[in-house]
Amino acid sequence: MLSRRYPRALFLFYRTQFSALSLFSLLILGTSVPFGNWPLQLGVSVLLMKLVTYPVVWYLSGQMRPNQYWLYLNLHIAPWQLWAGVVLLDTGLFSGVVALLRQLVVWL
Amino acid sequence: MAINSATTPWVLEADGIQLQFGQRRILSDVYIRVQTGQVVGLMGRNGCGKSTLLQTIFGGRHVPDASVRVNGRYAVPAYQQPGLLNYLPQTLMLPAAITVAEAAQLLRIDGHAALAAFPELQAQLHQRIGELSGGTSRLVQVLLLLHADTRFSLLDEPFSGVMPVHIETLSDVIQQVKVRKGLLITDHRFTELLPLCDVVYMLHNGRLEELPDPLQGLRDRGYLAS
Repeated sequence: MLSRRYPRALFLFYRTQFSALSLFSLLILGTSVPFGNWPLQLGVSVLLMKLVTYPVVWYLSGQMRPNQYWLYLNLHIAPWQLWAGVVLLDTGLFSGVVALLRQLVVWL
Repeated sequence: MAINSATTPWVLEADGIQLQFGQRRILSDVYIRVQTGQVVGLMGRNGCGKSTLLQTIFGGRHVPDASVRVNGRYAVPAYQQPGLLNYLPQTLMLPAAITVAEAAQLLRIDGHAALAAFPELQAQLHQRIGELSGGTSRLVQVLLLLHADTRFSLLDEPFSGVMPVHIETLSDVIQQVKVRKGLLITDHRFTELLPLCDVVYMLHNGRLEELPDPLQGLRDRGYLAS
């Protein structure tokens, strides 16, 4: 069972990962321009591309901040529980941004 | 776990912990026991595996065959059991961007009460952790974890960076807290830690040994000047 502190802990953890996650999101958006896919359309391939970046961010984050999990373990939250929340939250945010950008480009 | 904590002490035991990095044996079939109402000191040289042992008991480091039991019941990973134990790592545990009050709230602790023994820290309750000096942030973390409503606290170098006058007060706080908690502490400040300890273990060459006469034991092994 997840701790009642999970949403606050997840938000705190997400903040610390936000820059790396955003960098990969921007890379996915940016690479769509030279490949003629702009504006990017939200689909399975785009989502898969985004999902593939999470293990990379997870690994790099673990290498750069090996002690980042102690606080969350003290809140009874395991690293995988944090990352599960991050994947859901960030994928949702990314999907929203991609859909919004496409609407904006079409509208303009 | 139904147990009358007012009369019966809680017992935390860990054994079967074996760990090897390459050819180097860090921990070799270690057994350690802590009970509420006790301060247990864990001594040893740098790199002998003290932190690894604390992390293994806490459950933050997975070691195959490690057995951690509370009142005889298997509790691995121990951190998942609310109210059982907390762990202070050697490094900064709290994110630099949050305030002391926010950290206390996240850990479900009354920040004012936790810092009560240090009136000068009350003014820093709304400062960000990253804005505190190294010694102050260490002290704040120790106090928050000590004050938390857990049966046990595992503290890895709680005196590190804390100024001597504060160590005296912190030692008093530890004595007060041990009435309701079991504390497993490792620190290189032997002279400050020893008077607090009810039991002292020495970790050497991967083996854990209980010292019947801690002062003499540490002198004999060259940890203290004779």
